[in-house]
Amino acid sequence: MAFAMKFNMIDVVVSDSLENVYVDGKRIGYQFDIRLNYYRGHFLSVIEEFEVTVDGEKVDQSSIRFRLNGKEFGICELESCYNEFWRITDPATIIVHESGGLPEGEHTVEVKLIFRSPYMAIGPNKYMPVDSSGSKTLKVKF
Amino acid sequence: MGEIKKACSLFSYGTPYIRGEMSLEACMRAAALIGCEGFEVVAAQMISSYPYVTDEVAGEFARYSEKYGIKPVCYAANMDRGLRRDRDLTEDEMLARAVNDIKSAHRLGCKVVRQQYLLSPKTMLHLRPYAEEYGIKVGIEIHNPETPSTPAIMAYREAFDKCGSEYLGFVVDFGCFSTKPNKPYWDRAFANGAQPELLEMLEQMRYDDVPQQEAMERLIKAGANDAVLGAVAGTYGFVQFRREWDVEGLKSIIPQCLEFHAKCHYVSEDLHEASIPYEEVLPVIADSDFNGYAVIEYEDEGGYDSVEMTRRCAAMIDKILATIKK
Repeated sequence: MAFAMKFNMIDVVVSDSLENVYVDGKRIGYQFDIRLNYYRGHFLSVIEEFEVTVDGEKVDQSSIRFRLNGKEFGICELESCYNEFWRITDPATIIVHESGGLPEGEHTVEVKLIFRSPYMAIGPNKYMPVDSSGSKTLKVKF
Repeated sequence: MGEIKKACSLFSYGTPYIRGEMSLEACMRAAALIGCEGFEVVAAQMISSYPYVTDEVAGEFARYSEKYGIKPVCYAANMDRGLRRDRDLTEDEMLARAVNDIKSAHRLGCKVVRQQYLLSPKTMLHLRPYAEEYGIKVGIEIHNPETPSTPAIMAYREAFDKCGSEYLGFVVDFGCFSTKPNKPYWDRAFANGAQPELLEMLEQMRYDDVPQQEAMERLIKAGANDAVLGAVAGTYGFVQFRREWDVEGLKSIIPQCLEFHAKCHYVSEDLHEASIPYEEVLPVIADSDFNGYAVIEYEDEGGYDSVEMTRRCAAMIDKILATIKK
């Protein structure tokens, strides 16, 4: 990818946030929190690329859910979230559906998040890309 | 003669705010403590109910405002023309967003909306009746690399002159009067191993108005590393500098200025901004009929202490204004 701005405000992957998710007593996956590494909040529709890699393995896009403001979206739906504002101080929760969740111990969570800064025009329908990717090794809570 | 009063953009404390080290209340308190009479809020940063202002949020701002004796001055908007992936927002859609900004500013008790240049001169004219209805003045931000005299800004000046409403104007950011390289950008380039003689060469080429593409080619030829080349975009963009700052442009635009943005990236202990000639800029404004706010905006590019840098900027303005009064 060409040049992208990168800020150093906060850790994108929030410490201590990785945990397995249970439904009706079954472990159906895991979740963790992320924050936007920028100086202002954004509408979710500006997200251009969103990928999750756990322990070196890329997670299938269709098993990722993005939870914010008490609502939940598939990654393919983010593009049309023009009215869903991600506040700069709020974590979003990323849920990965994977039966059995994660085994006990530490796991490395990598998030690739590229968004366009929608007021920084660099041409017609072209905006400054910002890289808000991050990774962290976390112990999963059971 | 007019009067320059100090206000503070809470954006100055953006880094500690986002890191959870300062609350909204702490930001307003810090601004009041350094003698600022008013505050600006970057809406998409610190208004928790953005893009709207709920009763609860308006109440919160009003409480701190009362408690610390600091008035709402300016609502800083963002014109997110690129909200959609498939196309730019239309002028009508941008107008709709700008109307919302006016209403939000009004709820907070601000008198000015700082709007961004993606809102065209024509659409600004369509915004005028809303601005007048709500008693909110809307100013287009003039931010480096634009200056009061660049073609994009001249188009607004002509449109506003023709319309003659005092509700449309400008917010000039002092960054556009920079005469020296931006210290944090230069420090970063050095830290990344930039060759000093080639950074000097870049500085000289910027002063000589060598076009960006040609400067890039010359540097590559001279063997510039990535740290030097990385400084080129800023040098010709948001932190560009010129030998002569646009003093005539400033003088002629003052009657249309709603307020100024007292930008700083680094103020030294002995109270000088590293790139912006405050000692020359402030007297020009003090000598005019301008009666309003210089809104301090510390932009954290260098990782300095936000509270201290904002304090120094306020002290620098006080010091310069005190000299002028004598």
